[in-house]
Amino acid sequence: MRILINVLLALFGIFILIQFIRPAKNQHRPPFPDDITRSYAIPQEVQTILQQACYDCHSNNTTYPWYAEVQPFGWFLAHHVEDGKKELNFHEYAAYSARRQRNKLKRMKEQIREDKMPLQSYTWMHANAKLTEQQKAAVYRWIDEILNTGDKK
Amino acid sequence: MKKIIIGALTLSAVTFAACNSGNTQSQEKHDSSAVPAPGTDDKALTEITPQFKDVDTKVAASFKTLVDHYLHIKNALAADNGAEAASGGKAMAQAMAGIDKALLTADQKKRYAENEDDLKEHAEHIGENASNIEHQREHFVQMSEDMYALVTTFGGGRVLYHDHCPMYNENKGAYWLSEEKEMKNPYMGAKMPACGVAKEVIK
Repeated sequence: MRILINVLLALFGIFILIQFIRPAKNQHRPPFPDDITRSYAIPQEVQTILQQACYDCHSNNTTYPWYAEVQPFGWFLAHHVEDGKKELNFHEYAAYSARRQRNKLKRMKEQIREDKMPLQSYTWMHANAKLTEQQKAAVYRWIDEILNTGDKK
Repeated sequence: MKKIIIGALTLSAVTFAACNSGNTQSQEKHDSSAVPAPGTDDKALTEITPQFKDVDTKVAASFKTLVDHYLHIKNALAADNGAEAASGGKAMAQAMAGIDKALLTADQKKRYAENEDDLKEHAEHIGENASNIEHQREHFVQMSEDMYALVTTFGGGRVLYHDHCPMYNENKGAYWLSEEKEMKNPYMGAKMPACGVAKEVIK
């Protein structure tokens, strides 16, 4: 019995201690000189979708949920955001080569169509990130239009 | 009515033969497209010579290594071996880090930069997805485009064939580079190893 109490106390102590190890937040202020809007014109509707469903992990400015303040959840989120930004960062999009930008667009469409993005674990807690068929269609239209206009920057 | 049915049957047989998984040599000669049958001789293929003649020998050696790794991935995918493809992808990403860009002329730098970040991403993704070969193949499509752009400008250190598989990805088709005339389709693997037509040869 005493052992159990000691173990629980130790775990609680660890939990308290890890609260002090806080990852840096991904919250930068504009301007973002290499923002995707420098590469493409984006309809307002699509822009809203991207911001609501993608920007938390794919930009330099994340809106954090309350549980990001609780470790180890904050660590998981930081790790997620870091990975997401490495894959695709809308705030640094214009710095990609022309070829990479086009390939990114193609893959964005595929990922949405295959329901791989936005991540289920994300839409779970962010209901407005769940894309409706209409929203998906708007994103596809936007992407197709750019891809079909040839090599325009 | 009979004629129509026979016609339809013949047509489907021909279409099927165009991308059959069977014996390489005999099937390819039956290819119905206008492109000359591959595996006969290089003269039938459009010949491409790399754009830059003044590539530094060290750089040329680096690109040759890149192509080595690319072919490693290609052959692994053709053999349906995701783990092997992943090791090729990792090796390629590493090799890219070793390219001495200071040795490139201004023009060469520009052409390399057009492909560098994209190629690196594909190499890393293929490296990280040993257990998801279909995802590796998706990246391999675009990796092949980057590599094509690079070997037609810098050279690949060997003769390379630019092959095309019309069936991949719901008939959207995809290209790849190969060091040999014989078809070894990296997109279809064992399902259709011989599917494909050589379009160009890069010397």
